[in-house]
Order: sequence, then structure tokens, then C-alpha cells
Amino acid sequence: MKNNMIFAQFFKNNGLMMGSLLIGLVGFWVIVLVILPQLSMLDYSFRYNLPPAELGGPKDVYTLHNYKHLLYGAEGSSGTYNTVDLMVFVRTIIAAMLVTIANILMCYPLAYYLGQSKGSGFVRLLVVLLIIPYWINEILRAFALRIIFGDSGLINEVLMLTHLTTEPIDFIRQDIALYAGLGYAYILLMLFPMYNVIESLDRNQIEAARDMGASWARIHRRIVIPHAKPGIASGATMVFMLSAGALAAPQVLGGPSSLWFTQLVYQWFNDSLNWQQGAAYAMVLLLSTILIVLTLMRVFKVNMGDIGK
Amino acid sequence: MSSGVAVDLENVWIKFGDFVAVREANVSINGGDFFSFLGPSGCGKTTILRAVSGFLDPSEGRVLIGGNDMAGIGPNKRPTALIFQNLALFPLMKVWENIAFSMEVTGASAGERRKRADELLDMIALEGQGDKLPSELSGGQKQRVAIARALCANPDVLLLDEPLSALDLKLRQHMRTELREIQQRVGITFIYITHDQGEALTMSDNVAVMKAGVIDQIDSGHNIYDHPSTPFVASFVGENNVFRGKVSAVNGNEAVISTNRSGDLLARITPTQVGKMNVGDDAMMFIRPEALELGEAKPSAKTTISANVINEEFEGNSFSVFLEGDGGKSIKMSVPNLGQDNISARGENLSLHYDASNAVIMPAGDLASE
Amino acid sequence: MSSKFLSRFALGAYLIIFFSYLLGPLLVMSLTAFNSSGFPSVSPWACFTFEWFTVLFNDDRILISIINSLKIGVGTVILSVSMGLAASLVLTQVWPRLRTTYYTLIIAPILIPGVVLGISTVVFWDKVGRMFGPSAELFFHNGLLLTILGQSTFIASYCMLVFVARLQRFDTGLTEAALDLGATHTQAFRKILLPFMRPAIASAAVLAFLASFENYNTTTFTFGNYPTLTIELAQKVRYGINPSISSLAFIIIAVTVFGALAVEAIRRNSVRKEAIREGKAAAKPGNILPGFLRGNPAAFVFVILSIIAITMVGTAQSHDPKECKAQVLLEKKAEIAIRIEALRQQRLIKDQSEARQGPDIFSTPDADAGDAAKTPSGSGAFGGVFAPTNLDSEDGE
Repeated sequence: MKNNMIFAQFFKNNGLMMGSLLIGLVGFWVIVLVILPQLSMLDYSFRYNLPPAELGGPKDVYTLHNYKHLLYGAEGSSGTYNTVDLMVFVRTIIAAMLVTIANILMCYPLAYYLGQSKGSGFVRLLVVLLIIPYWINEILRAFALRIIFGDSGLINEVLMLTHLTTEPIDFIRQDIALYAGLGYAYILLMLFPMYNVIESLDRNQIEAARDMGASWARIHRRIVIPHAKPGIASGATMVFMLSAGALAAPQVLGGPSSLWFTQLVYQWFNDSLNWQQGAAYAMVLLLSTILIVLTLMRVFKVNMGDIGK
Repeated sequence: MSSGVAVDLENVWIKFGDFVAVREANVSINGGDFFSFLGPSGCGKTTILRAVSGFLDPSEGRVLIGGNDMAGIGPNKRPTALIFQNLALFPLMKVWENIAFSMEVTGASAGERRKRADELLDMIALEGQGDKLPSELSGGQKQRVAIARALCANPDVLLLDEPLSALDLKLRQHMRTELREIQQRVGITFIYITHDQGEALTMSDNVAVMKAGVIDQIDSGHNIYDHPSTPFVASFVGENNVFRGKVSAVNGNEAVISTNRSGDLLARITPTQVGKMNVGDDAMMFIRPEALELGEAKPSAKTTISANVINEEFEGNSFSVFLEGDGGKSIKMSVPNLGQDNISARGENLSLHYDASNAVIMPAGDLASE
Repeated sequence: MSSKFLSRFALGAYLIIFFSYLLGPLLVMSLTAFNSSGFPSVSPWACFTFEWFTVLFNDDRILISIINSLKIGVGTVILSVSMGLAASLVLTQVWPRLRTTYYTLIIAPILIPGVVLGISTVVFWDKVGRMFGPSAELFFHNGLLLTILGQSTFIASYCMLVFVARLQRFDTGLTEAALDLGATHTQAFRKILLPFMRPAIASAAVLAFLASFENYNTTTFTFGNYPTLTIELAQKVRYGINPSISSLAFIIIAVTVFGALAVEAIRRNSVRKEAIREGKAAAKPGNILPGFLRGNPAAFVFVILSIIAITMVGTAQSHDPKECKAQVLLEKKAEIAIRIEALRQQRLIKDQSEARQGPDIFSTPDADAGDAAKTPSGSGAFGGVFAPTNLDSEDGE
């Protein structure tokens, strides 16, 4: 009854035609593009990988097989855990967290500087300079780092010219290039939300605090950071989710022996053509990252509405 | 000049979830009247206006315009035009495009629209300003453009939602006169929403005073001021001294109220309560500051109050004297400025008296909180 | 006094480090486009050349993929801008209790990993296709359609955020005023809301197009027979590298820089115009062109860059790297000779060093001669990441 009234009021506010168009577009997006595909992926993840002829046949039943594979490896190798894949998973999550923390630390001073020195031409120029790499292809950015970190890349050349090292350092194999690349890839998604909230902080608050004798550390801890919390949370959520779900940087910059979890998903899907297994791995990635974000949001008392500001 | 179209609210209730914004409103507005809804903010007057203009439907009851039930008819199909509190001029359209917008949506040619807009610009004394953007006009000019835009739609009823509230005092007083003139010229029904009693009393044929979703009184401005029917109306419209007590005697349309601090006082019973008040009822008596007089005359003891002067303020056209009656009762008196140097001295004891027909008595109730 | 100097110094150093991290790699990559060396590097610098641009323009796969990217971009812009606009309009009127849930639903696609979006899109439409029978299956397997749908899923959320920001400044009274004056809901939308939203629609469209153009994670699952530019780039970066990618990167960077500066200049101009219109700043006729340069470092940089670009194109006609290349070739031959000699001597001294020369087969002498000269030991220089075997093993497990 109440729902009926809401809809009646909605159509009264928008007219029948505009109202239907709005509902139609939003419905298509939310239901057909977001919810149903996720559900069908969930459905897939519980099925066997069967040849087309057997689909719908007696063998086409639900199973936990694909999830078991992540835990215990292929059937037959019973008993022990699938340490290879599990290690990749844990490493991905931990590395994504570290990348996020590193990004927060790197961006905060700049966000504060840009946000609080309002309007000058130099600051505008810096913002424009920041936007430029943001719109360069992810692949190209990874490629650029690869050029720099390669065995005969710029950094190794410089290190050897200055005799800091005699042999090139294998940045790729040691994953240094990968972490640098991940930090590089999404750093602006951390910077801009932070910059936006700090810009909205009234400078008088800082001056009032300083007037009352607060130290710089205290001003940041008690005034700037609490004010910037929604922006930091928004940026951290984005960076964490995108790093954990990154594919381009690991493919281009990852060492040959260490994989990113998304690469496993990619392999199941595109190389092994086992969509069901890939779906299960993707599902694990999706749910665990969401769970981590929700837990951290609860711990730091952040609302969903803050994300995306 | 048309005689205008009547607007009737029949037993209208408007609820938002559990919240009742308007309770059982019964109003009938004569065609061609300037009718005001007066009340503090949040009393539901804007909600009523939105129900008349069609932005929301009453939860119960009917809205009739010209005798036709408006249920299910959208705002774009009703013969009403609304002037918004913030005017809602379209910022990206020129002034003339704003004014002729109602013709644009019916497909009138640019030439026709421009012609009509120029006529209306003449009427509001803004000739030649049609090609400006609204942001280039002053507050009063924007106000007049909003009126012209509403009138261009040839509405039967013009609805005004506190349109003067954003203007400064001088301009506001000027626009009151102008609005009243426009209303008399076009002869259509105006429904005006305001929290400013001055606006309501000066412009309106009839005023409805509202409090928390309930209409307390509908009457002419004069009657609202002189014969308030509830304590809320008495205290909201104009200034009033209030005395609380119990009815000790009733005699036709007069009654005596016994107060703790000021003794027995005589007043007439408000018209709607004549014959309904009994001895022993909780009651309130109201006296306007300007109805109190100084003097040595010796009227009945039941219309005399003794009080000490606390303070005196010069208001220009009058003096306000603040007094403390017996037992600490605070009283305000207003004395017209006829060239006196002052009225009283601080601490002086004065004997105030009044004409019983200028004081009004009614059952006790809520006052307007200022 | 000195502490102030110190803090300014620290700030400067920090800014320099931050921006080198951000821009340095792009700069280095751009430079490699002009080095005649066979794989992208700045040192050793062989010859200044434009040949990689020629290689790029003759690459059909790249050209086809650009066309695919454009098609997909246009489709994504249309779909995601309209869905984002609708969603933001619904957000402003949704029942307060449902608001958080609804907002979570429409913001979630930004946070869902791109690979998950790609997979779920493919899986879902595959299922839909099978429901409708074989002829429909082809339709639903169309990479163009799948990519547009997959990308729009999250790009619409970006658009929605742009619209929500703009809508916060919209006075819904304006729509009501239009309705009250007799407009239908469609007319009120077209004449009042749409003109107000136009700047936001323009920026959302640009945003959507760029996001679509550079997307990799989702597209890599959905593209089917329509590889986009990003997909082609990824293939090249992973399986075979030459500086023609750098030259493409240089073009993209140049376009982005010019675009960003142009947008900034337009923004400044419109801010000034607004200020003049509202009477906040005195109207100075004719200050648009000179004022464009005055006090506007962005515009200043823009002009400098234009001049550099024009001179570069100019010299491109006259510059002929042939001589230089011949010279380099000679040098390389000499270096190789020296190196071979050195290796021989090493072999005589140490038998073990033989084993470490293994990867030599994978590198072309043209590409590695420079490095070899600097690292006479020879070890490591050829075990680099650019060797195709390493790349294969990375994905082939």
C-alpha cells in the first residue's frame, strides 16, 4: 500500500512518460547489467565445466567443486591445501592493502598543500599536471614503468653509471616494479577525494586551533584528518578494490614467478576456457574484497554515502 | 473585469506518513478575493498552497476550483499559476522568454510570445528589459517579472508563496501596494501565503490564521485583529497583553475573569464563544497595548489595572511603556506620539484603564510562541 | 627563519619527487619513441628518428582497433550517460529510507573489480543467448555489444556522480514552475532541466569516453572479435615490443596534454565571464586574448608546447637519421667485435662463464649492443624482462 503511494507520487512528479523512461533506464542498469550478471556468475561458479552437449543433462548439477579447487587443488591431490593458489590470493590481498596505505601516506601531504593553498595559478597548474597521467591508458602507464624498471632501463643505467651497483637489479622479478606500478596506477583516485574534502575545510578552523596553541601534529590529528576522513575512506576504498582487482599492471609488470589473483581468474577463463572455475575464483575475489572494505568501514565508522564524493 | 473563480477546500487532510501537515481544512474563497493564509513557518500553509496548485493531492477531502473537483489533475492542467518563494525564474532564459514560457509550451510562435511579453513588461514598468537575463535584474524587478510570468498564463487563480520575504523592508512595503493594485486591475483570485501579519492585514479581503496544521480563524483582517477567536490568533496577530484566570461572572456577551495578580477584570466575550462560557472555566483575556489608557477618570474598578513603570521606549509614531503590574505581571502599553516629551518616569505607579469593549475574553489555550 | 626555509625546501623536494613519480615515466616513454634503438629505451641514445611513427601508421591492427575503440566509446557514452542521468534523477526523489540502499546499488559497480564485471557480463549474456536459440546467440556474443554493456555497467556510476554533483545545485522549484505554467513533464525536462544539466552532460560524456577508451580489465573478457586499442596495446606490450608503442603513447600523451590545457583555459574563461556577468569583476572588453596568457601558467605552458610541437613537425621533414644510423651500426659492429674478443678471453680464464651466456640467443644484436658495451661481463644484460620467453612463462602456466 505504502509502496503503491511512493510509485504514484513518483509518476505524479515525473509524468508517465518521463517516469517510465527513468524507471526503465535505472531498472535496465541495476537489474540487467548489475544484479543479474552477478547472480548468473554466482550460478556458474557452482556448476561443472561441461561440453555444450551435456548442458542440462544429468551431469549438470550444482557442486562445490570449483571452490574446493581453490582450497585443495585438483581432485586427486587430496589432503593437502592448494598452497599455490591460496598464497597468490593472500599475497594479492595483503599487497593491495600495502599499496593503499602507501598511497594514503604519499597523497596526504600533497592533498593538504593543494587543498589549503586556494586558487593560485601554480596550484591550478599542478592540478592540470595531475589530471594528465590520469587519462593515459593503464597499459601505457604500466609500460612506461616497465621501460624504467627493465634490466637495461633508466634506473639500472643510472645506478650502474653512478657505480651504486655493478649488476642490474631485477626489479621485475622482485616485484618492486609491480608495487610501484600498482601505486602509480590508482594514486590519483586517492588524491582527488582527499583534495576535495580538504579543500572544503575552513581555513579559519586551522588558524583558530593554531591560535589556541595547538602543534601542527595536533592540528592534523584533531582537525584536518577527522574532516578529511570521508575523502580518505573513499580514496582508500577505491584504491584497495582497484588494486586487488588490477589486471593490467600485474600482466605487464609482474614477475614471471609471482602471480596476481586476477591473473588466475584470467587464466581459468581465457586460457583454460573453464568459465565455471573462473567464475568461482572471481566470486571469491569479489566477496572477500567487499567483506574487507565493509569491515574496515565499520571499524573506521564511515558511511556508504561518503564513497564517491 | 471578471468576477474571478472561487476556490474551495472541503474537509482537506494532508498527511506525510504519520505526520499530519493539514488537519480538516474547510475554506471557501470567493472569486476575485485577495485571500491570505497567515501562520508561523511549518504551520502547513505552503502545503495547502501546493495542494491547490496540484503538486500534491490531499490525503482526504477535495479541492475545488470554480466548482470543479481537481482530484487527479496535474499542476500543468490547473487554471492556477504559482509565484514561488524564491521566484524560480529560469536562469538560462532571457526575461521575455521567462515571461512567455507558458505560451512556448503551447507552441505559440516567437513573434506572438515576444509581443505578449512586451505588453506585460509595460504593465510591470520594465519596458525594454526583455533581453536581459534574470540575474541582471534587481530584487524588485525579478519580483515583478515573476508576477508577469504567472499572469501571462492567464490563470483564474494566482497563488503566491511568501514572494516578498526576500526583499528589504522598504521594497516589501512598496510591493504590497503594487500587488494589491495588480490584483484589483486583473480581478482574479489571489491566494497569498505569509508569516508576516502586516502583509496579510494590509492586502487581504480575508485571512485564514493557521497553527500546526489547523485553521484557527477565517475572517477579514479587521475582525481577526479586533475579534480573535483563539488565544493563538490573539497572540500571533499584533501585540497583546494576556491575563489568565477563571471566569467569575457571565452577563450576556460580557464576562468577568478573576486573575491571581490583577484582580477581577471585565471584557467582552469573543463572538464565537458567546453563550458557551461558564463560570469557573479557565479563560484568557487579551488587551492590545494601544487599548490601555492613562488617566484619572474613574471608571469601573473592573477595568482598571495598577502598575509600575519599568522602562519606556520611543518608537517614532508612539511610545512603548513597559510596566510591571501587581505580583510581577508584565504589561505593555502604547501611547501615540502627539508631541509629548515623555509619558512617565521610571518607577512611577500608574493606573491604567480600558474600555471593556476593547478587551476580549475566551477559553484558555496555546499562545503563539515568539 | 631557517625552519621556514627548511619546510619550504621539504615541500619543494616532496613536490618534485611526487611529480617525477607521476610524470617521469611518461616523459621517458615519450622520449623512447624518438630513439632508433630497436626496443624502447633512452640510454644508450642511438639516433633521433621518426621511423617508429611510420611503423605505427602502417600497423593495420592498431588502426582497426582505434576504430573499434571509437565505436565502443560512442555506444558507451550514449548508454552510460543516459543511465547515469536517470539514476541521479531517481536518487533525488527516492524514498529517504531506501536512499542508502539505492545509492549502494548504483555506486557498487565502481568498486566491483573490472575482471568480475567482464566475466559476469560474458556469462550472463551467454546464458541469455542460449535461451533465445542459436541465431540470437550470435547476436549476444557480439564483442561490440558485450563490451558496451560491460563498460557501461561501471562507467554509468561515474556519470551518475557527475550528475549528482550538478543536481545538488538545481532548484527543483524551476521544474515545478514550468509545470505550473502549463508545461508537460517532458517539456519541463527538455526546456528546464536539460539545459541546466548540459555542462554536466558534456563532462560526463568526455569522462565516459575516456574511461571506455582506456578500459582494459573488463574489455579483455568481452571484446570477442572487436579488440580495442587498449587490448591491442596490451597484446603488443606482452608479446612483442618495439618503440612504435612509445610513439603511440607519445601521441596519446600529447593529445591529453593539449586537451587538459584547453579545458583549463576554457574553464578559466567561463569563470571570468560568469564573474563579469554577476558584476563581481569589472567587465574588461578585449581581455579574452591577452588575458588568456596573462596570469595563466597553464595557457603559457600550452603555447610553449605548441611551439615545440610545430618545430618538431617542421624538423621531421628535414631530419634524416640514415647517416646517424649507419654510424651507429659501425660502432655496434666494433663493439661486438670487442665484446667477442672479451668473451673469448673470459672463456679462456673461466669455463663456468659459458653457462651464463645462454639467453643470448633471444636478443637481437641491434637491440642490446649498447648495453653490452657498458656491461662487459655480459651477465644479466640479456636475461631481461623483454625477452619473449619470460613473458610467455608469465601467462602460460
